[in-house]
Amino acid sequence: MINVFQILFSLFALAALYKTYKRKKVQQISMREAWFWGIFWFAVLLVVLWPNSVQMVADTLGIGRGSDLVLYVAVALLFYLLFSLQISFQKLNRDITKLVQKDAVEEKK
Amino acid sequence: MVMAIVPAYNEGKKIEQVVKDLLLQVDSVVVIDDASTDKTGVHAKRAGAHVLSHRINRGQGAALETGHIYARMMGADYVVHFDGDGQMSAQDIPPALEHLKENNADMLVGSRYLGQATNMPWSKRNILAPLARLVDRIFSGVKLTDSHCGFRVLGQKALGLIHITQDGMAHATQIIALSKQQGLRLVEFPVHITYEHYGQGALGGLKIIKELILGKIMKL
Repeated sequence: MINVFQILFSLFALAALYKTYKRKKVQQISMREAWFWGIFWFAVLLVVLWPNSVQMVADTLGIGRGSDLVLYVAVALLFYLLFSLQISFQKLNRDITKLVQKDAVEEKK
Repeated sequence: MVMAIVPAYNEGKKIEQVVKDLLLQVDSVVVIDDASTDKTGVHAKRAGAHVLSHRINRGQGAALETGHIYARMMGADYVVHFDGDGQMSAQDIPPALEHLKENNADMLVGSRYLGQATNMPWSKRNILAPLARLVDRIFSGVKLTDSHCGFRVLGQKALGLIHITQDGMAHATQIIALSKQQGLRLVEFPVHITYEHYGQGALGGLKIIKELILGKIMKL
């Protein structure tokens, strides 16, 4: 029996999958990113529709509860995303600095 | 040609005197106005400096590199890094240049601990400075008494090889690390600093460490 939570989360995961596909189609994300997000949202969909699958994986890994496994993975993923964002932010900063420096020198010429 | 590079952010009250003092000791002064909200650029120009303006604030490291780009373009033989807040003494420049030449060095780094840093806060001298030295040693592999003083003299070789990519205050450590990587000869020199404000505190130090770690990861 599917409950309301499962319906809502499934719809959310499906929408995210569709958005990933759309963004790849217009080349807003790379193939690597498309695979990462595609697999991620597909996994979310599986977990929402078959919660017992998480318990099976948790048992295999020696983690007591399936929900604990979800929590560990979510925290690890969030840290990874935060780190990636920080790196992207720094790269963006570098590019802005180069532009500002070029502009300052050109203006002086 | 000896060119002084002065990064400045909202130093409208001090910059004019700093430029005037510098022009007595060097051939040319370039002030990099790092998007000040006061009249720093106007005052610097009035005092006789070349002024390069950042449209948005990018930090002291970025401003110094803008100065480097300009100095390379103008064919400077020596560049002097000098703060715009009036705490340094322009009279240190001639003996520093002499010391650099005598030792056949590529870069000179000013030190507050070899000289007379007047009114230096106790916590800065006894707590922050030793920690900063340790961090510098870890990240640059060079043992110096002080690398965050801001007073430096670079010869043409160092100017050509040192490209600062650390926009913030981590540039001080990066410059030392780059000089080691490039096999440049470094010398230290005692300089006079008169403290009127505290400057970098412990939080600033943590930010520098974060920037250095990210820089290592990104190979900046």
